[in-house]
Amino acid sequence: MKILEDFSNIFTRYDLNIEVARQEARKVSKDAVLQKVADAVVAGETAECEAATKAALASKSPMEVINEGLIPGMNEVSRLWDEGVYFLPQVILASDAMNAGIALCEEKMGKAMDKKGKVVTHTAEGDIHDIGQVIVNALLNANGFEVINLGADVPVDKVVEACRLHNPVMVTGTALMTTTMTAFPKIAAQLKRLGLNIPFVCGGGAVSEEYVTSFDLGIWGKEANQAPGMAEDALAGDSWSVMRSKWNG
Amino acid sequence: MTGKERVMRVFNHQKPDRMPCFCANGTPTYDQMEKVGAYWPEAHERAEDMAKLALAAHTVLGFDAVRVPFCQTFEAEALGCKVKSGGKENIPGIDHPPAYKLTDTPVLPDDFLERGRIPQLIKAVRILKEQVGDEAAIIGGIIGPFTIAGAMLDAVPILKASFKEPDKLHPFLDVAEKAGTALGKALIEAGADLICVEDMQASPDLIAPHTYRNLELEYQRRQVEALSVPVILHICGNVDKIVEYMAQTGVEALSLEPKSDVALARSKGGPTTIIIGGVDAATTLFMKTPDVVKEAAREQIELGLDILAPGCAIAPGTPTENLLAMVEAAQEHTY
Repeated sequence: MKILEDFSNIFTRYDLNIEVARQEARKVSKDAVLQKVADAVVAGETAECEAATKAALASKSPMEVINEGLIPGMNEVSRLWDEGVYFLPQVILASDAMNAGIALCEEKMGKAMDKKGKVVTHTAEGDIHDIGQVIVNALLNANGFEVINLGADVPVDKVVEACRLHNPVMVTGTALMTTTMTAFPKIAAQLKRLGLNIPFVCGGGAVSEEYVTSFDLGIWGKEANQAPGMAEDALAGDSWSVMRSKWNG
Repeated sequence: MTGKERVMRVFNHQKPDRMPCFCANGTPTYDQMEKVGAYWPEAHERAEDMAKLALAAHTVLGFDAVRVPFCQTFEAEALGCKVKSGGKENIPGIDHPPAYKLTDTPVLPDDFLERGRIPQLIKAVRILKEQVGDEAAIIGGIIGPFTIAGAMLDAVPILKASFKEPDKLHPFLDVAEKAGTALGKALIEAGADLICVEDMQASPDLIAPHTYRNLELEYQRRQVEALSVPVILHICGNVDKIVEYMAQTGVEALSLEPKSDVALARSKGGPTTIIIGGVDAATTLFMKTPDVVKEAAREQIELGLDILAPGCAIAPGTPTENLLAMVEAAQEHTY
């Protein structure tokens, strides 16, 4: 007879204990009007966020609504994601709600708000498996970066052209297969030729560290979750070589 | 003992002579293509090439099972999604824009099994049955409901809907489950000994565990119940948060990446659940050397695996010697 080694689940309805206990978002503002904006972002409710933003704009300046309502709300979402309470769909929905609120504030300002910086993202030519890029986009967006999303199956020239046009703080490339990642060194070489020494984070599927660190500008991205931290470093002015020594090896 | 006996003994809960080794997901590498003279994209499209390349997993690598197909697009294509070829070096994928909107009412076509490349896939299983049916177990691959629905609707829309309007996903999951089940039954009839359900989009990397429990679990359970051979469930990424529910689908075997906790899967699945797992397909099998692969395989075996396997589909650039090293680690593990 088998002797049971672990008795912890006996008398436990173990269908109930797996989900992390529902965690409340923290208060981000003392002002009830702004808190409502933040709550709508945390809930990922676009219509609610628009209504709350409109209401807040009646008494606050657009920059106040952005900096003290929308962005703190999104920071809460990032925290909940980091702690494993929130999952990807919630991050995408919250980021939609935040962007809808920002659009209303921008309308009132008559100009676009200043984002932290631009990041160009793409999935390599020949590759249409862009789920990794979907995660990267959502997280960068959630962290206040302007994402220039080139989508999947993007030719080398188009990536280089987008970098020339937007001068991003960072560019990312994802590839599922070992074969499509051969586009990455080509992109890096062309960027260098144009004098655009932009940190180029490459990751996904079978993309290896050894390969990505074999060409200039390349930094290996192990997990999509690293993208915001890397973008912050790039924004702070770290060169690709400094970033590589921090994140790789 | 033949590979097939070895594998089927494990599924019958008897001791084999040694630990079996195979890949429940895609097996091809460029090296195998050269050795057997069957290549992509033909092996994604024509039964003869598909069977020839699948066979390489047994003849070249010494795996105890062979597996078709090598991509995740057969059901989706037959449901009207546009497939983009991966050419000589890649697997095909579902092209953008998606074929369905959330407001559509999808239906399973009556001639589903005659659509797209499905007849070729069924034929490939027949060929494998004829050529290697006594020596190696034959695994028929189907795609899980949530992943097929994801191909129909595209990733971002289905992820959003999983939170905002989960009820609208039921018609899609229903059709997707029926599609996978219909294909699975056809593959069994053609000679498949086992069915592997790949459900990549149901991973906690993408959806919340409660979405898996409330939305996907019931469809997977129906599917498993409808299939008359043992079923392997493969979900990518770290599945610790859902492994308990995965076991509740009624599957005989769970296929895990090394980032998942084997002991947890064992405790949630109970003593009769077969755990397939092993060596990380990208960071170890593809990137490292035979010595490292062997060591990694031994470590994973020690955690209590029943079958040694790559954690996911084999990267096509993987060196053959690394795959042989994995097989050797299984051969060393006698009972």
